[in-house]
Amino acid sequence: MPIALGLESSANKLGVGIILHTSESHGPSTPPSPHDSAHSDDERPASHSKTTSPPVQILANLRHTFHSPPGTGFLPKDTAAHHRQWVVRLVKQAMKQANVRVDDIDCICYTKGPGMGAPLASAALAARMLSQLWDKPLIGVNHCVGHIEMGRSITGADNPVVLYVSGGNTQVIAYSAQRYRIFGEALDIAVGNCLDRFARVLNISNDPAPGYNIEQLAKSGKVLLDLPYAVKGMDVSFSGILARVEELGHRLQQGLEWKDAESGADITEADLCFTLQETVFAMLVEITERAMAHVGASQVLIVGGVGCNERLQEMMGLMASERGGSVYATDERFCIDNGIMIAHAGLLAHGMGFKTPIEESTFTQRFRTDEVLINWRD
Amino acid sequence: MENITLPHLLEHPLQVCLFRNVENATFLRQQLLDGNTKFEYAFLDASVLLSRKHVLAACFRAINDMLNDRLKSRNVHSEIVFSLSPNNNISESFRRFGITNESINVLAIKVGGDAAQIESHLTANVKGQPAVFSDEVLAEVCDLSRIKKIYRVDVGTKSDGEAARKEAEAFVLGSMALKGS
Amino acid sequence: MTSHPPAEGLKVHVLPAPFDPANVTLITQGAEALLYRTTFLAPSTPAALKVRPQKPWRHPTLDKRLTRQRILAEARVLVKCRKEGVPVPGVLGLDWEAGWVVMEWVEGWSVKEAVRGWEKREGARQSEQERGGYEIEGLLRRIGEAVGRLHKAGVVHGDLTTSNMMLRPLGSGGAGQAEESGAGSLEGEVVLIDFGLATQATQEEERAVDLYVLERAFGSTHPRSEGRFGVVLEAYGESYKGAKATLKRLEDVRMRGRKKNSKDYPPAVLLLTDLEGTVAPWPDECDSRTMHDREEKRRVPACLQPYQKAESYTGAGSNPYPPHAK
Repeated sequence: MPIALGLESSANKLGVGIILHTSESHGPSTPPSPHDSAHSDDERPASHSKTTSPPVQILANLRHTFHSPPGTGFLPKDTAAHHRQWVVRLVKQAMKQANVRVDDIDCICYTKGPGMGAPLASAALAARMLSQLWDKPLIGVNHCVGHIEMGRSITGADNPVVLYVSGGNTQVIAYSAQRYRIFGEALDIAVGNCLDRFARVLNISNDPAPGYNIEQLAKSGKVLLDLPYAVKGMDVSFSGILARVEELGHRLQQGLEWKDAESGADITEADLCFTLQETVFAMLVEITERAMAHVGASQVLIVGGVGCNERLQEMMGLMASERGGSVYATDERFCIDNGIMIAHAGLLAHGMGFKTPIEESTFTQRFRTDEVLINWRD
Repeated sequence: MENITLPHLLEHPLQVCLFRNVENATFLRQQLLDGNTKFEYAFLDASVLLSRKHVLAACFRAINDMLNDRLKSRNVHSEIVFSLSPNNNISESFRRFGITNESINVLAIKVGGDAAQIESHLTANVKGQPAVFSDEVLAEVCDLSRIKKIYRVDVGTKSDGEAARKEAEAFVLGSMALKGS
Repeated sequence: MTSHPPAEGLKVHVLPAPFDPANVTLITQGAEALLYRTTFLAPSTPAALKVRPQKPWRHPTLDKRLTRQRILAEARVLVKCRKEGVPVPGVLGLDWEAGWVVMEWVEGWSVKEAVRGWEKREGARQSEQERGGYEIEGLLRRIGEAVGRLHKAGVVHGDLTTSNMMLRPLGSGGAGQAEESGAGSLEGEVVLIDFGLATQATQEEERAVDLYVLERAFGSTHPRSEGRFGVVLEAYGESYKGAKATLKRLEDVRMRGRKKNSKDYPPAVLLLTDLEGTVAPWPDECDSRTMHDREEKRRVPACLQPYQKAESYTGAGSNPYPPHAK
């Protein structure tokens, strides 16, 4: 039964995960996928889709996050230094927690991209080192594919339309002919980046995450202010919204009287957070619905750090239920960047005979989801 | 007089009567100005009416706005007159589409009410010849140059026939639908 | 008229007043809107009712604002087209607060059905001599002219496909007589429909992208007739003063798409028709080493006009910094 070690370092989280793919339910030639890829996802009844034994077993899933002070973003150099400092410790701890020996491990998986260059370098370097030290094959993994495969595995969503939303990515994805095809995406900045940068204006803490703190504040927001709404077909744009909400943030900080015209209530930070969330999430749900309508899907899977947001999940759930389907989401262990998803997607590729030769074990800031051949699915 | 039920507005039938060679337009207009409750009609000057659909689209909009509490004018009858206009100027819409002292051909519309009563009241008070409310009759009495000017659309000439009118009608209906947006 | 038939499990929406389920028939249910057949102003006048239902997940204020904006944008484009003589269904009634628009019903069948029918008949013919393709070229020319007239009017459709074009039998003012000449005939007037994504745009780039979308949709919907698409462009080129320049621009747009395709990269404009029938070919292998140098985003940047130019990857919470920072 194959075991993989996964290293993730595309942004400010360093993740190390160890995964086991159980193979009891599969024949020897079948890839050790949690999804029975011998059948078409479209026609397979749901009851038939999962094996009785858990197809993946998470042996360890550790993460260490680099937090920058409120009002600042994390810089690549500092983040990379953080990751270098922690990677050996985290790998050791993961091995210990998983109770596996070096001999048990079949491959070393790392995030090849997309992400920030310097942090990506940290894990790529560590992975190369481990690969040579232990004489294990290397698997370069697309970060987005890692999120999607992990999400599918955890939630059991067969063939969902995927909304991938994080600090670096905003994509609506559907599977077709062995590719995760991008139906729509953010044309400028990612939705998480928009939220994070707004958090800086209001000096909202980056711990545990700026988006999480915005979500908590938004819960007490009541007034919906006017923001641009930028959906074009299945694409979205957030830079105009960010510029506008930043203006509103600065206005609030000036401390001048500012009341809602209708209710007469003072405009608060919470209202701004509420407004921003309601607007950008409505855009995301809209493009997801459009993609679902076009491919005739009723399942939707949300992955990526912003996918933890319960308001987004709620809105998506309302939409999906109108379409006779449901929303699948994971909690912060899997939504937020982690090593286990890299190990998982890497092991799926490894099962198909994929290897990244050492001389090709590079990383890249740009690595599109649809570049990866998903040959472990039909 | 014709009793018209618009699709989707079964509860609000229209009583419509076209009069030609009307001699007492001044009197009729005065009743409206005085707010005489016995004269709750939309009195339209038929020379600016392009077709039946043109009129009925205005009626639909006025009734729908009434049902949604969005009347811009006094009542549903004045709203029919206003609905014909491509712009938001209410008094201008009355001048253009409503009955004037010079009107010769007048279309009277009543939303709801008892058909027999309305017919006898109208025939007793409008001094003119009742005519069929049809595209053909409207084509005879309409003043294309005025319609062209009001809607800024090329309506062709009377000899251009139906095709040109249909084209113009589509644009006119669209302009009316978009009014106030 | 377009998109997919209503799928099972979809919510049944409440019609806005004064419409009643008894008097309308659902034709299609898309993500944005529901399309019904009904009658309007007279029981004998067929009409298309398009309803944009409320989206319960959206804040009600935002929902109202968007519904209003979109229903109005579509109606404005249609009215403008009718004024400029572009063959589109006219607007008969509208309520932007309630989110509905009633349009003229377009008799006939879609160009997609017509072309597919012709391809089928053509395929059944025995000899080479019988196969001429002259009849279809007449239709393709009319398509080019119709799109030309649309662009001349300063409108970009945004979703030009052969399902969004109808063939209206000539002389069909009213209902019923369409059946005579046989569904799937290539005769009739080309009428453009479904302006839900249309914009009033005057830029050459936007027109070129509109054509590119049509070209790719045509190719993937009618692969056997793809080679004849040039006839559409030829007719388009004659249709208005700036048409030649738009065609020139189309070559650039195509190049951007092909550059990516040639590197086994997804097409520049992802078309939904790709997923319907023919799936665009995908490579078996994809060398990710060559991927990092691609700076361009997937889409042609026409739709980027109102937006900021795509920025390099900045990651969460960081300021932009140069790409490829080592």
